[in-house]
Amino acid sequence: MSALPAQSIPAPRRAIDRLRILRPASEVARRAKPRLAYAIIAVAGVAMIIVAQMLLSIAVTQGAYEVDAYQIAQSKLARQEQQLREDLDRVQSPQYLAANAEALGMVPNADPVYLRLSDGAVLGQPSAADGVARSTAPLVPNALIDGVPLVTEQQTGETPRQGNTPGAAGNAGGAIPAHAPAPPPVDGALPTPATH
Amino acid sequence: MNRTSRYPMRRILVFAVVMVVLVGVFIVKLVDVQIVRASELNVQAQDARSVPVTVYGARGDIVDAGGQVLADTVMRYDIALSPKQAMKGPVTREQPDPADPDKTIEVEVPLEQIAAELGAVIGLTGDQVQGIIAAALADNADSDFAFVAKLVDTATYEAVKALDIPWVVPYEHPSRRYPNGAVGGNLLGFLRDDDGEPLAGLELSENDCLASEDGEVTYLHSLKDWVRIPGTEVVHKEAHDGGTLRLTIDADLQFFVQRIAEEQRRAVGADWATVTVMEAKTGRLLAVADVPTIDPNDPAATAEGDRGSRTFTAPFEPGSTFKALTAASVINAGKGDPLSRITADYRYLPPNGANINDSFFHGPTPYTLTGVLIDSSNTGMSMFGERLTDQQRYDDMLKFGLGERTEVGFSGEEPGDLHGSPGEWDNQTKYATMFGQGLTTTAVQIASVYQTLANGGVRMPVSLVDGCSTADGETTKSVSEGSRVVSEKAADETTAMLERVYLEGWLADKWEIPGYRVAAKTGTAQVPDGQGGYLSGYLVSVSGFAPADDPEFVVSVSIMNPVKMNSSAASAPVFQEVMSQVLKKYRTVPSGAPAPELPATW
Repeated sequence: MSALPAQSIPAPRRAIDRLRILRPASEVARRAKPRLAYAIIAVAGVAMIIVAQMLLSIAVTQGAYEVDAYQIAQSKLARQEQQLREDLDRVQSPQYLAANAEALGMVPNADPVYLRLSDGAVLGQPSAADGVARSTAPLVPNALIDGVPLVTEQQTGETPRQGNTPGAAGNAGGAIPAHAPAPPPVDGALPTPATH
Repeated sequence: MNRTSRYPMRRILVFAVVMVVLVGVFIVKLVDVQIVRASELNVQAQDARSVPVTVYGARGDIVDAGGQVLADTVMRYDIALSPKQAMKGPVTREQPDPADPDKTIEVEVPLEQIAAELGAVIGLTGDQVQGIIAAALADNADSDFAFVAKLVDTATYEAVKALDIPWVVPYEHPSRRYPNGAVGGNLLGFLRDDDGEPLAGLELSENDCLASEDGEVTYLHSLKDWVRIPGTEVVHKEAHDGGTLRLTIDADLQFFVQRIAEEQRRAVGADWATVTVMEAKTGRLLAVADVPTIDPNDPAATAEGDRGSRTFTAPFEPGSTFKALTAASVINAGKGDPLSRITADYRYLPPNGANINDSFFHGPTPYTLTGVLIDSSNTGMSMFGERLTDQQRYDDMLKFGLGERTEVGFSGEEPGDLHGSPGEWDNQTKYATMFGQGLTTTAVQIASVYQTLANGGVRMPVSLVDGCSTADGETTKSVSEGSRVVSEKAADETTAMLERVYLEGWLADKWEIPGYRVAAKTGTAQVPDGQGGYLSGYLVSVSGFAPADDPEFVVSVSIMNPVKMNSSAASAPVFQEVMSQVLKKYRTVPSGAPAPELPATW
């Protein structure tokens, strides 16, 4: 607000005085030189604008290719992630866990017993589990874990994945090759630690 | 100095005329292009260079109470080829030059080899792939499109892409996957493969929560390598993901219960079995097993009748488990207590002409109400039941939630049939309804009856879904206070009697859970054949809850027609195993004091 009044102060009179003493200059002196300079400036300006425009355009186009490459990499990684998530979901399904536990010889104990920490009392009647491991695999079917090897059937360090076995579920008429290729090498691939 | 025309006006005129004509032509063309043929040309231009792309919204996940995923959406791929292009000749492919490893040479690969390579990846033989091409061409010599494989997974998709065959195109096709297989398959339902339409179960009844919406964008791309040109993307429709549906079910418990149920079903040769686990204080369903169970990953592998949830959809005559309800009604009306006395023979012929028999022979026995339940005497129950009017008993049944669908609203749920209303009951039905024959209930309704008794006479609405969370927020099912059905005294006294049944009934050693007080009742019900008679098989059941001193969990087991063991001895071990697993899983503290003594006879 305070700046406004200052701007409205009238311009100094001197400008008008100078106008009065203007007189025509000689035509040759005034026209010859500036003409060429203006032309050069104008043409150069136009040329520069065109060049800048082209450079920008090239940059944007180059960017489009970069974006495209990243998008392709992203969708590849997304597919890889989905594949790994599917494998994970499969191996953490109760059927697979139970089948593995049974394969390792674990049996459930139906009699719960608790130790009360406050006074060390044993609640419930402890009893040994019956030593019969039951095969329950077919009781609750899961088409997704068909053919996935159990822990007892795997090489050390191998992560179970269905890609190793043909006849995957959910692909009518489709199957997975006996030897599935490793995931495509992508820049910035998901870090996969070797599990042992 | 300056040259000037002799006829300046003429020049100006000619120039003006030329200008007017030129501008006129331009204007006509402009109007023609911009207005007259504008829409037509627009479409042509878009078609020529922009591609509409479907952006798929993901159908919502179904998760269990702990967040474990029971159903999720994955991307699958349909592989299509162009028969016309395939027949055009061999495909050129770059291969490393055997002579110079740093260079590549172009080789021509014949159709036979390409077809064999493609077939190996998608699980067909080369001949089959060529057969598909030939069949499509026989149908239409100009055929440009045929599917070779549908719904292949990501690994196959990558393998197909790696082959780099110019006339093979993969299409995205969102699909549904159930990582836990048959765990909860009876509840989840399934979708139709080709268009993802929900066909059964929660997928159908909760579709409002789960359904997604596909979007569409178009963009311009470079002609040669299909790179998206910046700034040309137009979103025609936003894609929306579906909401996440959270169930009350616990996947691990559900698995365990299904396993036990299926094991016993096979052992006793039964047609089917259902097991319901419910929280006594809230009415939440923790596990609902129906065996045989569908694996929704492969619905076709299961017989059509076994694809749903019989717990909700198959009403049956409940039999003796129903006596607990009648006993609670009698006590609630003040017409008896656990020590009320009657003398019951094995046959009872009431004045109205009905004919009631017990399932075992006995002479006149001085039963208390407790004793009637322990021995499951139909005649004794009839003598207590007739102390109430039919209308009183009927009203209580309605209050217990019988005769109407539960709050779950499962797709295809049945309300059960109380044989009309008391006015329509004949003389035999009047008595039969006291011990669970002549009327039908669903398994979940029976579980709800026992939940009411376990919860001090207050019935809680049955729930299977905890809530639905979408991008807009979370909707949770409103918490209900429940409704009082019978007095707390009636519920507690019935519980005390059911504890005696558990301790003194004929299955006492078969269903013992050491350390806990349990209240339970068996049932061996005749099954109507649909023509007024009864089949030779039975529906055997056990319903009960534990710990009886402070009930937490209700377990209800029904097994249809166990041919190798036609009595409730078939269902007792299931009850025992499921109940002890539930108590163990939820870290329930074992009961302290023993159950109160109640004499069975006088």
